[in-house]
Amino acid sequence: MFCRTQTTRAAIARGSALEMEIRRGKFRRSVFLDTLQDSDIQKKIDHEIRMRDGACKLLAACSQRDQALEAAKSLLTCNTRIMAYMSELQRMKEAQVMQRVARRSSDAGPMDDRLPCKGKVAISDLRIPLMWKDTEYFKNKGELHRCAVFCLLQVGGEIHDTDMVMVDRTLTDICFDNTIVFSEASPGFELRVELYSCCSEEDYSAGSAPRKLASKLSSSLGRSAGKKLRVAMDPGACSPTSNAGAATLLLPGPAVAGPKYHLLAHTSLSLSHVQDSFRTHDLSISGNEECSYWVPLYGSVCCRLAAQPHCMTQQMMSGCLKVKQLGGDPPSWTNVYGVLKGTNLFCYHRQEDMEANVEPAFTIAINKETRIRASEKDPHSKAQSICISNQYGGEEVTHTLSADSREETHRWMEAFWQQFCDMSQWKQCCDDLMKIELPSPRKPALVTSKQGSLYHEIVIDTSDDISTVTDILTRRMQELELRSQLGTSPPWMSLFEESPGDASLTSDSDSPCWAEPLSLSSPRFRPRTLSLDAKLSTLRGRGYGGVLQCSCQPPSSSSLAPIPAQCVPQATLSCSSSTSSNSSSEGSHSPSSLDGTPFSRPSSARRSLRNLRAKLDPRNWLQSQV
Amino acid sequence: MVEWEYNNYLMVVKVLNDFLSKLNSQCSCVLQQRIEIRKLRQGEHLILGFSIGGGIDQDPGQNPFSEDKSDKGIYVTRVTPEGPAEVAGLMMGDKVMQVNGWDMTMVTHDQARKRLTKKNEDVVRLLVTRKSLEQAVKHSMM
Repeated sequence: MFCRTQTTRAAIARGSALEMEIRRGKFRRSVFLDTLQDSDIQKKIDHEIRMRDGACKLLAACSQRDQALEAAKSLLTCNTRIMAYMSELQRMKEAQVMQRVARRSSDAGPMDDRLPCKGKVAISDLRIPLMWKDTEYFKNKGELHRCAVFCLLQVGGEIHDTDMVMVDRTLTDICFDNTIVFSEASPGFELRVELYSCCSEEDYSAGSAPRKLASKLSSSLGRSAGKKLRVAMDPGACSPTSNAGAATLLLPGPAVAGPKYHLLAHTSLSLSHVQDSFRTHDLSISGNEECSYWVPLYGSVCCRLAAQPHCMTQQMMSGCLKVKQLGGDPPSWTNVYGVLKGTNLFCYHRQEDMEANVEPAFTIAINKETRIRASEKDPHSKAQSICISNQYGGEEVTHTLSADSREETHRWMEAFWQQFCDMSQWKQCCDDLMKIELPSPRKPALVTSKQGSLYHEIVIDTSDDISTVTDILTRRMQELELRSQLGTSPPWMSLFEESPGDASLTSDSDSPCWAEPLSLSSPRFRPRTLSLDAKLSTLRGRGYGGVLQCSCQPPSSSSLAPIPAQCVPQATLSCSSSTSSNSSSEGSHSPSSLDGTPFSRPSSARRSLRNLRAKLDPRNWLQSQV
Repeated sequence: MVEWEYNNYLMVVKVLNDFLSKLNSQCSCVLQQRIEIRKLRQGEHLILGFSIGGGIDQDPGQNPFSEDKSDKGIYVTRVTPEGPAEVAGLMMGDKVMQVNGWDMTMVTHDQARKRLTKKNEDVVRLLVTRKSLEQAVKHSMM
């Protein structure tokens, strides 16, 4: 619910923390006059409050430890952000008030102080070495003492947190893989790195399960229970300051049970620590061994802190210029399109060249050693010209530039002065452009696919014995032997035999590919494989005896009856149905015209079909009917 | 009368298909076949009469029909008896390479299904691959 009053246009959400604070008298409403920046920060505060409510709800609702730890981490981050935004808001208000007062009292001249440009600051590859006592390593009783840790990084109003890492005595360093980029940092930035940790054991006497808490709170608390609760709620006797604790005092957030993070160590980094490589910095550790959230830190933190001032990455100034050719009298001027970026003034023949990424005609260095001055009016031209002097080796080289008009010249000079200011403020960051890798969107954890090795291909079904394979093969062998004895062979056998097969088979199987008849003499033992099963069933299904005119001789002889007929009747079956092991019409689909003898489905074949059916089970491997 | 003719038609188609497959399998090479399936209207659906499995988003190790267990192509896992696909000569275990000119070797399962079930298409022309007969038998008997 929004409450719009006539005195202020700023809409303050009813029930928001801000309104509560106003009611408490901590902030005067008149302080919140409307400006664009205010509404910006107001929006951010509201957003963070919503996030915080969400985190509280999640914390209350979740039952798993790591979920609770993540939610508590978000809660702490939100609280810190809200604090930062509110203090920034207050600072802005105060600055505005001061400005108004100053303007009223004195006639302030044009703002003369030049502000250096802002830049990007990135911190990455944070690594905090640990120093476990050897007693820890050999302590084997019970479970590992684990702690959940994460880092909170703050530059001005921007606060970021790293991912959470579980630490136990098997870890030698705490590594945070995140790259955190702060986009608008001034050269005098202070990057505050705070390490928070929380013990990750079943020790919350208030109950990690919300049910326990609810029951405890609903029933009256005894003295001991109350004391325990208080201890759990307390942000920890060891830490002098705890952001979470302070925040909950100021902001009337809901009292949350669950894991609480405590500040373990902190440090501050600034421009002097910026370098294009890894550096080690000292950590100030708060807390001691007695605390539950203690992790033995070595006392330092390694990281890569890089900075990219905007003057190095962006075009600070561009326009048409005239460059005087060195030597020669009368002097001749060349028209160029100049672009001031980084430590160089690139001069292109035309503006299109710059856009087309063509190499510039020439480049004039603008760095700390460059000297620029505006010379007196050239008698030939009306405008002032700019002289840029550089030392190349031992020689001094001077370029003379001239702009189209006085205003242009003035703008160029301004740009150069700004560049010098930036370079003096950003110091070592302007020597060379430091690389900052933007954090890429996290890819989901790749599920390693099965390797293509034979080991992975062979699947031995636990439901089937290896002996069943030999059973099938021996049975098949017997049947084939008997069949060959009787002189009747299954139609498909003729495909392999040299002798001209059934007259029904129109194609002569006498091709060189099948020169060697298949030897079924020794059933070579082979573990069941997926492909084997598939082949078996497709073999049965394919139209070996597919030609209808063939007289698919059913095993008429009585001696064959006891042996369960396998392949042949199924071959006849295939005339009308190409086998689909999933189809229910298998057994029932016997065209009476073809098959005279009813056959009994062999159990082994059924088993293999069942296997195939299991493998084609949609739960294992998606199949769609089209 | 009509039924008998249809049965005859089926038989003839079957004979031709088998003949073709035997001819092709003599080459002992991978057979590529063009199969034209006319969709059958069943109520408000147009069905083809087979099932597919596979896709670049599926686990290729579970494909019982593929030679290479890292093959993520689309395979025919089931052919409905007497359905349009069977009549056209599609067989279980065939790998679908193209559908109406669209490639099916690098598609997700859902994309494959969608390409086969376009409502405005009455006919789908598939390009399928089928291993030769000899190879199939050899592998199963080894």
